[in-house]
Amino acid sequence: MARRPMRNSSNHERDRHGNSGDSDRSTMSRRKYLHTGAAVGTAAAIGGCLGGSGEGGGGLTVGYALPFTGTYAMLGESIVNGFEMYLEQNGGEIDGREVETVQRDTEADTNRGVDVTRELLIEEQADVIVGPVSSAVAIAIMDTIESEASAIWLNANAGDYRVTQEGCLDYHFRTSFNDWQTSAPLAEWVYENVADNVCLAYADYAFGQNSKNFFGEAFEEAGGEIVAEVGAPLGTDDYSTYLGQIESSGADAVFSFFAGSDAVGYVSAFADYGLNEEMTQTGSGFLLSEDTLPAQGEAALGMYSLLHYTPAQESERNQTFVENYRGAYDSTANVYACQGYDSAQAFAAAVEETGSAEPDELSGALSGMEIDSPRGSFRFNEQTHEAIQNMYVREVVESDGEQPVENQVVETIESVEGPTWDCDLS
Amino acid sequence: MIESIVRATLLGVQSGMILALIAAGLTLIFGMLDVINFAHGALYMLGAYFGSVIAVELGSFWLALLLAPLLVGVVGIAIEVFSLRPLYGRNPLYHILLTFGFAIMIQGAVVQIWGGQARQIAQPALLTGTLSLGVVDYPVYRLFVLAISTALIGGVWLAIDRSNLGIIMRASAHDTEMVDALGIDVSKVFTGVFVLGAVLAGLAGVLLGASRSVNPGMGMGIIIEAFVIVVIGGLGSFRGAVFSALLIGLVTSYGALIAPTLTDLALFGLMAIVLMVKPNGLFGATEAA
Repeated sequence: MARRPMRNSSNHERDRHGNSGDSDRSTMSRRKYLHTGAAVGTAAAIGGCLGGSGEGGGGLTVGYALPFTGTYAMLGESIVNGFEMYLEQNGGEIDGREVETVQRDTEADTNRGVDVTRELLIEEQADVIVGPVSSAVAIAIMDTIESEASAIWLNANAGDYRVTQEGCLDYHFRTSFNDWQTSAPLAEWVYENVADNVCLAYADYAFGQNSKNFFGEAFEEAGGEIVAEVGAPLGTDDYSTYLGQIESSGADAVFSFFAGSDAVGYVSAFADYGLNEEMTQTGSGFLLSEDTLPAQGEAALGMYSLLHYTPAQESERNQTFVENYRGAYDSTANVYACQGYDSAQAFAAAVEETGSAEPDELSGALSGMEIDSPRGSFRFNEQTHEAIQNMYVREVVESDGEQPVENQVVETIESVEGPTWDCDLS
Repeated sequence: MIESIVRATLLGVQSGMILALIAAGLTLIFGMLDVINFAHGALYMLGAYFGSVIAVELGSFWLALLLAPLLVGVVGIAIEVFSLRPLYGRNPLYHILLTFGFAIMIQGAVVQIWGGQARQIAQPALLTGTLSLGVVDYPVYRLFVLAISTALIGGVWLAIDRSNLGIIMRASAHDTEMVDALGIDVSKVFTGVFVLGAVLAGLAGVLLGASRSVNPGMGMGIIIEAFVIVVIGGLGSFRGAVFSALLIGLVTSYGALIAPTLTDLALFGLMAIVLMVKPNGLFGATEAA
């Protein structure tokens, strides 16, 4: 947890910023780093070890803008674990340069997220921002990333498509997924293999609404019928009433977006009411992921979901990753750890290719780059910087491992690309 | 249509009775000890976490249901004896700050020990499946929860209303010095009341932990609802707490049927109206306990 020792120059920076008001901060720094870049160069020459803006030698600084407290703490921790495992495997160096990591807790809060991103960029002079987990935070920090223009942003979990649609930032690369990818591709599969009519059930906030809209559009396009839509507020305690509405819709299948403790509450109530005997449950991968399955247990048996990574994937690449992860952290790897690991892989590959940590050069290198990931290799779309990756349809089956149930891949949908939302960075 | 109304009513009554278990403790503690116990939600959460650990380690829901609330009771004793007792008679703000601090500490400890991801308590095999009630099929477990919480509330009510202990409790609340002068150890009565509240909250935690998710946010979520209930029912009134818990349970479940996003608004709206019309709550001030 402890932050590594700071360089002297940064303390100096901090004092200077201490004098200016918060609102001045970004203007101050922008002027300093963009317009009087020469001064920074001199400072670097004198200091000799100002790694930040990263011309040539010196160290590299990784800034984690992730939640380490609250509901999403486990996600932040897993992303860091994945990233650090890669560093560990490479002796803590990338391209012969020592790597420092700095953690900042976003608390999954938008204001806090902007503050820590600014801190990481300005005070810590991070060369790469890894995070955030929450999409709301991702949308909030787009401006900061763009105006500071001093680091590449590897989005290791926030999947809201609006980061591409509204942001379309040259420095943004999704090492994770977007909400279209975890919902729409499942529609055709459900239509062909499960049912031609569905009820949509979703957590009533941006991500849930996006997911059900994407699925709904794709399902109707495939020829299916949406019988009903049921939205439940985020953090609903008891899903009984909503399950009643789902049941009375008479649909043969239901597509759901719920995550975390909502997913646990929803799935177990679904089984309590015996709905799993009347209709087939399908959903975005977060409904039935490694962080919820141990709690959902047998209630989740036979349910289908779509995600870009599953620890039980049988490729050699993944088996090695899962084993190494277990060796390092004594726990099962999850999708978040994979996203963290791939962020490290992407950053390292780009630095090695360009021999620089300049965000413009890194962006150029990453665009179109292929990453050999435990999830199966994926490529960054030149236009949108989204990951073009395989999506896996999984079924929850009984397991003889430490948990009673696990996801098993039943079908691979290859190289899922998704819409560009009018973003063209190529 | 009838189906969903019946279902919503059943759910409303069931969650109302569970809320009553939590609100009853809250209101009794306020009525007797004059303490607004912000840590009550955290005790409820502890019950659920203890329950989930015991259910996994000992492999039995029934042992969890028995032992977890007792463990929460032990935590309750520690809180009352070591931290609340020295503060009796002081400005109520001290109690609020203290118990609020406990709520945050307990929540932090839970995240440290068990992590942020949700858990669950496995339902006993005996109570799985659904029971046909004519119009709807209702999960057996939830009917069990309804039955056991109703029985508990009834038991506590009788105890307060009829037993000698209940008389001493009510007398202590009414005139502490006089009861003390009559040779009854009031501090023991206070500890007893606090522990009773803690045990009831812990029980509610185990019961709900098997039909909802067990997560670090559950305590903060329920305490707000419990306070709304206690305020509507009248601070310190047991009868009021039970009555308004049922009311809130029904409002919440019908609300989910009609306008899910407005349910919280309806709760606070109801509280505001009650406060305007009857500032002491529906059953406040007419009854000592």
